[in-house]
Amino acid sequence: MNSPIVISQSDGRPMYLQIMEQIKQKVAVGEWGPGEEIPSIRVLAVALRISVITVKRAYLELEREGVIVTQHGKGSIVATDPGLGPRLYDREFEEHLEQVVRIGTLLGLSNKQMALRLHDTASRLNEVQLHEDEFRKETV
Amino acid sequence: MNTFIVTRLILKDWYLNRTLLVAAIVTGLLTLAGIAASKGNSIALILGIIVLATILIGMGAVIMSSMVNERKQQTLPFVMSLPVSYLEYTTSKLLGSLLIFSVLWLMLLLGMIATILITPWFSNGLIPFVVIMLVEVLMSTCLIAAVSVTTESQGWTIGVAQIGGLALNAVGFSIVRLPDISHTMRSRTIQWSTTSIVLLLAEFGTIALMLGTAFFVQSRKRDFV
Amino acid sequence: MTGVAVQFSGVSKKYPHFTLQDVDLELPTGSIMGFVGANGAGKSTTIRILMGLIHQDCGTVHVLNHTMPANQAAAKRDIGFVSEDMRLYASLTLAWHMNFVSSIYPQWDRLYAEHLLRSFDLKAERKIKGLSHGQRVKAALLLALARRPRLLVLDEPTTGLDPVGRREVLAELVAVLADEERTIFFSSQNTLDVEQISDQITFIDRGRIIDSANKETFLDRWRRLRLMLPLNTALPQLPGVIEVGGSTRLPVLTVNRFEPAMVAVCQDAGAAVQAVDAMTLEEIFIANVQSRREGVVA
Repeated sequence: MNSPIVISQSDGRPMYLQIMEQIKQKVAVGEWGPGEEIPSIRVLAVALRISVITVKRAYLELEREGVIVTQHGKGSIVATDPGLGPRLYDREFEEHLEQVVRIGTLLGLSNKQMALRLHDTASRLNEVQLHEDEFRKETV
Repeated sequence: MNTFIVTRLILKDWYLNRTLLVAAIVTGLLTLAGIAASKGNSIALILGIIVLATILIGMGAVIMSSMVNERKQQTLPFVMSLPVSYLEYTTSKLLGSLLIFSVLWLMLLLGMIATILITPWFSNGLIPFVVIMLVEVLMSTCLIAAVSVTTESQGWTIGVAQIGGLALNAVGFSIVRLPDISHTMRSRTIQWSTTSIVLLLAEFGTIALMLGTAFFVQSRKRDFV
Repeated sequence: MTGVAVQFSGVSKKYPHFTLQDVDLELPTGSIMGFVGANGAGKSTTIRILMGLIHQDCGTVHVLNHTMPANQAAAKRDIGFVSEDMRLYASLTLAWHMNFVSSIYPQWDRLYAEHLLRSFDLKAERKIKGLSHGQRVKAALLLALARRPRLLVLDEPTTGLDPVGRREVLAELVAVLADEERTIFFSSQNTLDVEQISDQITFIDRGRIIDSANKETFLDRWRRLRLMLPLNTALPQLPGVIEVGGSTRLPVLTVNRFEPAMVAVCQDAGAAVQAVDAMTLEEIFIANVQSRREGVVA
């Protein structure tokens, strides 16, 4: 069966998070439109060869976040709220930023140090060549 | 008792041993036919009896192996995964093997009676004695079957089979000494003395007792696999 | 009747060299329970008691609302059982076995059986003795699966299978659960398989159930905290610490009741939290067993 989602066992993150992310991506790019039906929990579990409880958890979290709506006895659909995609991602971005700040504070980093680390990571991952010297001169 | 599942299991056991069973029954029937057609040729008759007796002994061995094999070949978990109770399993084993054995046993009985009736050498008075001895063989086989199904051990079964064989000889000798038996053996007519009837009843009673005990022991078992 | 497919209550069984003690289990209908334990821990004994093949010394066992072992014949009509030590009749073919089983169970699904033949890559005309170990395991599984039983009881279903075979079997097992009235109970030493497809997980060690919960709870609650302690700082006191490893300055705490607030607690105690690592089911199992054996109760 052609699975709509592919998850990786070697990915360090919990499986339910992977499922959530992939579903959010599909919604964000419009593959699964608002109000559209998505595979039921059991059907997806069978397709992914994983336990029902994991898919259930992913769906519960997605519902909490307002991405999908589960109708009792009738399966699940994408929430009908338009413009969900970009807003969804923005909210996630914001959440991640807050978490970075929390951990950074725990580690005892200053705001500027945190900003530097963020920049370094972004450069490393996106291979964007910024004017590093310029940046360093401004922040030191 | 779920007769459906018991039947299926019996048929399964017969199918597993199909070549042997068919060969035994066909040979037995042919031998009987040979005895009937022998026109009193004593050598042919004796040969016939020997063949039938051999088949019977062979069948006894097959019976032993059928019950012990489920344990040895580890197919018991598969059988017990079916919707069957242990009592039904025991029934299928005992019934399945004794049914086949009885068929061949009957052939031997008929063969021997026919031989005695046909030949002038064997006085017809021998017949009660022969019947008693053959029922003794049946009894001995029931014992083997009972031990085999309850112990599921090849060692025990073989041991009992050997004792059974010795007992057969011993019983044969002692019965011959009984006055009622020895007198009637030489007569030209078939005479059923009280002793012979009592002996027969005792034998059938023992058979019932052995099978009953086997079922009882099986029902008390707590670990089947 | 839905609700609970399997229930054990205070089940014990004594052998000369091994005792199964006080086993309590509950398996809701429509879920998969993975049963994890080392060799000799009591997995097979528990499963045989579940099937009524062994009579427990005390305690009650209910399977599909039948009392075991008294009603085993009736219960087994709806149970598919495959164990690792189970053998089929070597001199007969797989086709004969399929015929035999289908003659006994009216629910035999011929089309599904043929699908399984293809996906398990088996030839029905072959004699059992000509099959490899992995093929025999799959053959026995086919015979159990094709009847579409309400409860599948499997003792080490993927042991001895190559990776492709394992994947096929796991796929079919999960597919069973598409019907929410069907339940699976399986024991395995392969924690990866258990982690992948189980809803509930139970650990058994030395004849005792040492932990039982749903999979996500296990994976959520167990963590390794990597700390860095400055000089002369004591280890933070945390509830549910199963094990302390690492070194004095760089301890690694294994906890089984992780809360995000624990990070703050460590901070307050002066320790720097370098990492909070999730644990695989295998690591959780080993930590659980070791701590029990060493007498650390959490």
